[in-house]
Amino acid sequence: MRYWLLLFCLFILQWADAQLLKVCLQHTVNGQPVVLGKTNYQNAAGDTFNITKFQYYLSNFSLTDSSGKIVKLSSECFLIKEGDEASKKLSFTNLPAGQYKSISFMVGVDSLLNCTGAQNGSLDPINGMFWTWNSGYIMMKLEGTSPSSHLPEHMIQFHIGGYRAPHMTQRWITLPLSVPVKSGQLILRLNADIAILLNGISFRQSAGFMTPGTAADKIADNYQHMFSVGWHNNN
Amino acid sequence: MINKAIYLLFAFCLWLLIIGKAGKPGPEYYTLKLPDSLPKPVYDFSKNPLTKEGIALGRYLFYDPKLSKDSSVSCGFCHQQFAAFGHFDHALSHGIMGRVTSRSVPTLFNLIWQKDFMWDGGVNHLEVQPISPITNEDEMGMDLKELITRLQGNKTYKRMFKEAFGTEEVTSQRMLKALSQFMATMISFESRYDSVMRHEPGVTFTAEEQGGYKTFQQKCASCHKEPFFTDFSMRNNGLPYLPSMNDIGRMKITNNTADYLKFKVPSLRNILVSSPYMHDGRFFDIFQVFAMYDHGQEKGNTIDPLLKNGIPLSEKEQRQLYMFLNTLTDKKFINNKDLKEIMIED
Repeated sequence: MRYWLLLFCLFILQWADAQLLKVCLQHTVNGQPVVLGKTNYQNAAGDTFNITKFQYYLSNFSLTDSSGKIVKLSSECFLIKEGDEASKKLSFTNLPAGQYKSISFMVGVDSLLNCTGAQNGSLDPINGMFWTWNSGYIMMKLEGTSPSSHLPEHMIQFHIGGYRAPHMTQRWITLPLSVPVKSGQLILRLNADIAILLNGISFRQSAGFMTPGTAADKIADNYQHMFSVGWHNNN
Repeated sequence: MINKAIYLLFAFCLWLLIIGKAGKPGPEYYTLKLPDSLPKPVYDFSKNPLTKEGIALGRYLFYDPKLSKDSSVSCGFCHQQFAAFGHFDHALSHGIMGRVTSRSVPTLFNLIWQKDFMWDGGVNHLEVQPISPITNEDEMGMDLKELITRLQGNKTYKRMFKEAFGTEEVTSQRMLKALSQFMATMISFESRYDSVMRHEPGVTFTAEEQGGYKTFQQKCASCHKEPFFTDFSMRNNGLPYLPSMNDIGRMKITNNTADYLKFKVPSLRNILVSSPYMHDGRFFDIFQVFAMYDHGQEKGNTIDPLLKNGIPLSEKEQRQLYMFLNTLTDKKFINNKDLKEIMIED
């Protein structure tokens, strides 16, 4: 009887383990890994800059299987922070067995969560990702310095947000997985390239903005394309 | 014998269980008494049901100067009950270390019907509204994270959060929900005007008040709509732009030039106890407001269509209007003991 119970437990464990998806985020600028405050990078406009803060929300993760069926993984909002390794590793434990060909998620926070009162956890306003004077979440924040910037202390400061039409900054992203993967313990490396985020930005002309509007929408259009699947690993 | 002992032990355990349960009751639910004629509140109470303990915590927070950086300014410092929770005699609100903002303190009542907050409507929910004055450098100047840490270290708050929410944990969400519960109880529908409308025995308008009510209905009621005496919209009422203040109003929020100089239509309830008037508090006397509508407007591109010809008000109309506005003062509300300031001792 005891052995049966043990076997049963092992089976359950095995089963639970098999349903795990891990998403690891990696931040780069043109292939160079991001190190806060230290490394100097260059944007397409030729401005040298460094990064002191890079954080953003990802939410509404789902996978699409080979038959086109969408499997929702979680509606949770994750706050990803460069420099905080734990925040860059996401786990989903409710992945049903199947063959998956793409992953989808949202950059930003659902409109509804922007206007339904005080939130908790990653959406707690103490995280500094909430605008108080013009309610709504900052979907993505990039801060640093650049000699090209005319702002005080040569800072660069991009706080991208806005959830109301016409200035909405949430973006949906779908990335194909190069080979269809079976569920198992699936590990996925997502790369976010800040060079793409800063496409079309010259720090000499604009070293930051912190309101919803056309400028923020353009950056949001950029971050829609900054993510790519680095590699995945199917055990 | 052993059986008897077991029964006794069992009974004793049961008794302990019952006593234990009775010893820690959950929070006690509280029902707002609202007149039946009112529309359904905008505020969703299902996500934050009112409880006596929640309201008590909200009131404590509202009057606690520890919510400001140097523990000098509470919410109630600017929102004074006798002024319908506006700031008596102050054109512009002021905060820690003598700092001054660019707008006047809005009155607080009937907030559960309000969709957006502040003079420019920039804040979209009652629960997140307090974050603005708490963190604004010119008001309470407090970092939200630091504030939560400060409250977590306080014995009274540990006890009160437990009573209201079941555990001692202090989070910004709980703090904001408690503040909202208290603010939700700021209800003002007990003015003489309300008694007249409800045909309460022996309560009538005087001839002057009745005349004023007629003028109000003809000339003011389309924006200051009954029963709230506001339609909660944003409008440019023709108040001259002050270059020294450079306040562009709603446009600051929407970046839309069509919103230039638009501000929230304030309620006229309790208006005579909550001077000064306008978003920058430039008028200390209601007759200055009448005069502005009569002949003092600045008619720019975004002036409200309803106001582009001004509001001609004769001397008699102005006097009667004043008499009518006087019936909108809710003495029960401004003297309500449950809303009164409390002493914070630690």
